[in-house]
Order: sequence, then C-alpha cells, then structure tokens
Amino acid sequence: MSIAIIDAREWQNIFDLRTGAKAEADGPVVKMVRGVLGAHPYPGDTDPGSNKWVSDVALDLIEQYHPQLVFLAYAGQYFTSRYTPMTGEERAKMLAAVSSEVNRFIAESGFTPIIIGTGTMTDFVDFIDVSRLDGLALSTHWSARYAGLHNPSVSDLIFLEKHPNIERIVDKNELLSLFNASPDEALRVPEHLLLAKEGCAYKTSSGTPRKALMVPAGSFHIPVSCAAGSLNEITDIRGIVDEGLKKDKVAVIILEGIGMEDFPWPYSSCINGRGWYYYEPGEAQYLTIMTGQHRVFDYPTGYKYFEEDQESKEYPFSGYFTSLPEGTLASKFSGRSIAVGNKSMFMHMVTGADLSVECFARNLYNQGTMGVVHRQNKV
Amino acid sequence: MRCNYCEWRCELGNGRLGVCKMYVEDDNGIKERFPNKWCTCGISRIESIPFYHAYPGSRSLTVGTSGCNFNCKYCSNGFIAKEDPELLQERMLEYSPKELVGMAKKLGCHNIVFNVNEPTVSLPTMIEVGKEAKAQGIPVGCLTNGYTTEEATELLCSVFSFFNIGLKGLSDRFNKNYIGIPSAEPVLRTIKRLAKTAHIEIVTPVIQSANDDELDAISDFIAGIDSEIPWHVFRLLPEHDMKEAEYPNIEVINNALKIARTELAHVYFHNFVGSDWVNTLCPGCKSVVIERFSLGCGGDKLHRFLCHDKYCPECRREIRLLGKKTEWNSMEVQS
Repeated sequence: MSIAIIDAREWQNIFDLRTGAKAEADGPVVKMVRGVLGAHPYPGDTDPGSNKWVSDVALDLIEQYHPQLVFLAYAGQYFTSRYTPMTGEERAKMLAAVSSEVNRFIAESGFTPIIIGTGTMTDFVDFIDVSRLDGLALSTHWSARYAGLHNPSVSDLIFLEKHPNIERIVDKNELLSLFNASPDEALRVPEHLLLAKEGCAYKTSSGTPRKALMVPAGSFHIPVSCAAGSLNEITDIRGIVDEGLKKDKVAVIILEGIGMEDFPWPYSSCINGRGWYYYEPGEAQYLTIMTGQHRVFDYPTGYKYFEEDQESKEYPFSGYFTSLPEGTLASKFSGRSIAVGNKSMFMHMVTGADLSVECFARNLYNQGTMGVVHRQNKV
Repeated sequence: MRCNYCEWRCELGNGRLGVCKMYVEDDNGIKERFPNKWCTCGISRIESIPFYHAYPGSRSLTVGTSGCNFNCKYCSNGFIAKEDPELLQERMLEYSPKELVGMAKKLGCHNIVFNVNEPTVSLPTMIEVGKEAKAQGIPVGCLTNGYTTEEATELLCSVFSFFNIGLKGLSDRFNKNYIGIPSAEPVLRTIKRLAKTAHIEIVTPVIQSANDDELDAISDFIAGIDSEIPWHVFRLLPEHDMKEAEYPNIEVINNALKIARTELAHVYFHNFVGSDWVNTLCPGCKSVVIERFSLGCGGDKLHRFLCHDKYCPECRREIRLLGKKTEWNSMEVQS
C-alpha cells in the first residue's frame, strides 16, 4: 500500500494514497518522512524561498535515506513569472537564484546532475476568447498553446479558423496518428485540438481570473545538461539516466519555465515533442521524461477531466490522476529513490520514487505538504 | 440616491461609486455597472464550495462577478474581490442569464452556485439568472456575507434556495479590525431571516487570537436559531493582507469546538487538507452517515453516502439534507 502523509503545519494525518482512507502506518521510513515534513513547512509557490525548500527537503531526505536516484522539480520561477510583475533585472536575478539553488544542491549532495529545462516563458500578448462557442473548449489555465474542442458547430469552426491568434485547428485523427495512438488512448481525446500562436492563451468559461503576465513559450526544443551520453529527443533522457545510474548516483533536476536562452549550464538541444506538437509544462512532459515514451494520452490535452471526478475515482490526493502511471523510471529501479518538487501534487505519480515530498498547493493556495511512501522495503 | 442593496447604504449621486464599486445612479435609479459579466463559470463539487447538506455529490456551476462590500484582511479571492472591478473587465466572461444557465447544462451541472465574491454586489444580474434557472428547473445557491439590507435579503430569497452565510465574528472589535464593517448585527439578522425559508449553512473562518474566543458565542447564536444548521469552522488560510500570518493551530481550534459539538448537530472543521472533521455523523447515534475527503481550500469531495433515504442506516433518525444524493455524471437535475 502506498501511504500519503499530509502535513498541514503542526498537524499530520496518514492515508492510503489509492483509496484516501485513513491509515495506520509506522516504521522507520514513515517516521523519517514525517520528520522531514514537520521540519520543512512550505513557504508558498511564489515565495522567494520556494526553490530553497526543494533543495533543503531533498538534502534532508538524502542524508537520512541515502538514495541513488533523486528527482527534483524547481517551479518557483514558473509561478512567479506567471503572476508577479517583474522588471528585466528582477527576472534575471530570479533566474540566477534558480541556478544558485541548483548548484548548491549539486555541491552539497555530490549527485551527478541531469538538468532539464521544461521550456521558456514569454510575455502574455492576448486572449483567444473561446468561452462563447456553441461547442465546448477546454484548456487548463497552465496551458497556453492547446485547447480541446468538443462538439463544435459549423460557425464555431469558421470563427476559430478566422481567429488571428489561432495558428490552426488540428483534427483528432491527426494527433492520434502523430503519436500512433491505440484505440483506447483515442477515447478521451477531443474532436479537435486548437493551437494558439505564441504569447496567446485561451479564455475559457472555467479559466482563472488571475492575470497571467507570462505564459509558456513555443518550446519545440528544450535544454538538457548531462555529463555523458548523447541525446536528440526528450524520449532519450530516460536512457541517459539509466546509463548514469550504472556508475553514479544521479539527480534528475527539472526546471520549470526555463528554456535554452535562460539555461546557465552547457546543454544539448533536445526535441520536446514530435512534429508540430511540443510539450508544455505538465504531467505529459514529465511522464515522457520518466518513461522514455511519448505520453500524450494519459490525460489528453483538453479532455473532459471533470467527468472522471466521480466518487469512485481513486487517488483523491493526486489531482486528476486516476491511477499510478506505468513504466516510470523509479518504479523500475531497484535502488533507493526520492522525489521532491514544488510544482504541485504529482511528483509521486510521474516519478514512481520510493519517497516523495511535494507542496500541497492548488492554484497558488498553500495547504501544506504531502509525503508519499510507495515502498518501505529498501531500508 | 442611496444604494439599498447592502447595509453600507452608499450615497451614489453624481457619478460617485460606493464601497463595492459595482453600482451607479442614473436617471432610473441604481443600476449595475457591469451586468452579466462573470469572472468564472467553472465546475465544482458542491462539497468543495462548501455545501455539505445540499444536493450531496452534485456538480455545481460556480460563478462569480467582481467587487465586494467587505474588506476582509484575509480575503482568499483578493485578486477578484479586492481589485477595482473596472480593471478586471477585460478578463471577464460575458453571458446573459440564458447563456449562463445554458452553460450549466452544457457542462452537466446540477445546480448553479454564486461563490467567488459577494452576490449582493451583482443582485440585479442574479435576479435574472434566478428567473431563468427556475424556468429550467435548476436550483441556485450562493455564498454570502449576509450584509444585506432587509429589502435586499428578500431579493436574495427570491433568487437563491440554498445559502452558505459567512458569520466571521460577533464582536464589533473583530468586525472593525478584520472585516471592515462596524457591526455584525445585519449579518445576524440576515441569518435569522434566511433560516426561516431556505436551506442555510454557516461558515466561520477562525483566526487564532482574533476570533477563536467567539466560537462558543457563535455556536450559541446558531443553536438559538436551529441546532441542525450545519456550521463550517474554517481554519484560516492566510491570504491578502494576512499572507505573513501564522496558520492557526489545528488542535487548539479543534479543542475550542467542544461546547459547539454538544449544542449543534453538525460542526465541521476544515479548509485544510486531510481534516478528520468533515464527515456527517447522525445526531442521534453518532454513526457516520456521509464520508468526505478534505482536500483543502476548494477541494472537498464526497466519498461515501450512507443515508440514501435521508435516514441514518443505523438508528433511522432523519438527516437534514436539501435534495437528494446526486451522481456526479447523472444528467438528472433536482429542482
């Protein structure tokens, strides 16, 4: 049984990760995670100390659990870029602080790093208002390029075809064939995918009214820094990690909202998708990194996520995830692994690490932290 | 001319705006500045709003506009409620009442709940939404701070059939310092009035050392109206001007609810992830009759519903609920 330990500051509770039922759990690993959670309250997504929290938690876990494989996601700069007004100087200072934090982690941990930027940010330019269609357009407010289009009318399609901020409308079958989707994978994919021009984002009926200042840029390529091995595509990263683990302790470090122009280490330019499709920051990009296979269809862009939120849905503390993803890097690794991140509650799902610690924050509301223990039998 | 929607009763003549900045005076009287403009029309589980005793399990279209007539130091929707409404308009959605109700149907929602800011600041629009929803058999509810005039409270009653009313504190000291109003008296009056004809639940955000000493008195007040009114005690999530404040201690607040639990049938303590106090217990035999997950701010969720005919499966005592259990993906709407 995978255990979720919730820390709501000075108060903890333990649950079965899958069912959400309260659970009794003890033992050295659970005690260790509880101690780490208690010692490191999360400062908040846009707090200047947010990324330091990631390093501090990871270093604490490394000292106690002695893993060979570490996953880190630093997302403070992503959230801050989205919503906090900054001058160019302030932004440069913020990005410098990210690299300092990563360098501190590398120096103090002694791990061999593989550093990945998920893609840069660009200034928000304009909305694409898809809130008044006859059909239904769905897009998470964390996405800029894509929206799923369900049941469009002829006039919807004419309106969207003519829209100056829409690059094009992709038919479902084109997306399916681009990634050789299976019939099962095709089931939840919307009839059409809308592609926005860079800098634009969708105004949907259920979007957030927070004012976005920057949005993910068009990142067909992302930077990857690693000491050995060659890579061309995002799906090659998994192999590099597997190779690295044969001789070193490896830290896979993911930097949200950072692309090649912001990346301070030597890097390889890596294709971040296939053809016209590139990954935006989110679970599909992480799963592709972690599995070495394109994972566009686990939770397809613009799918009707809400229809899967019924009472019987499992993994209530894991957002929209309905099951543990298969084939993740750490779930196949026999050594010890940990994951720490301040993106949201999904590192425990996308990495499969033995132990995960993440912020429990939703739409920037800081609820506390969550530790997940998938395995206790390696101590 | 004075605005008569809330107890500020702002003087609006000569282009002057009131506290909420949502009404102006013209030749025909008081009118909305931004009718039919919405900050969001999203999908929520009704438990996450929170309504624990209305249409359990149902899918709500949650809507809001802009502006507010309170100035809560800890406002968790400050980016809407505290922004100048004028500045928000480029980001707003525009739906007529008919279109809004149509959106609820398109998204498979069983009811509509106004929950982002204060409905009193957009009451004429909500009256029209209420008419349209009623015509289509869709129930409409809201979260309100209850600071309405007596006349506006009657208008609320004409629109909404279920309410979650914020009773933030009783003392003038607390209300002046943390909410920006002189007194909670109008709120208490509104609660008493709405409880007579509508389903109500009450929510109280608790700030340690500010209003936690009022919990017993608030409980007494609710019990004096009806001991089965569900009371949601919220652990404050420090936001807005209180972003740097400490999170209230959960055990301390929970211990402060001992008396309330003896005099009220349904006391919930939540607004933090993993709460132990979100299940409904039968007031008679204390069996669990509804289980929920507490996923923190805006995330609570029904887990198991055990009182299918509104009666405790153990002792057969009636459990107070508005409407019946609704399947999340059901297309059935209960009017």
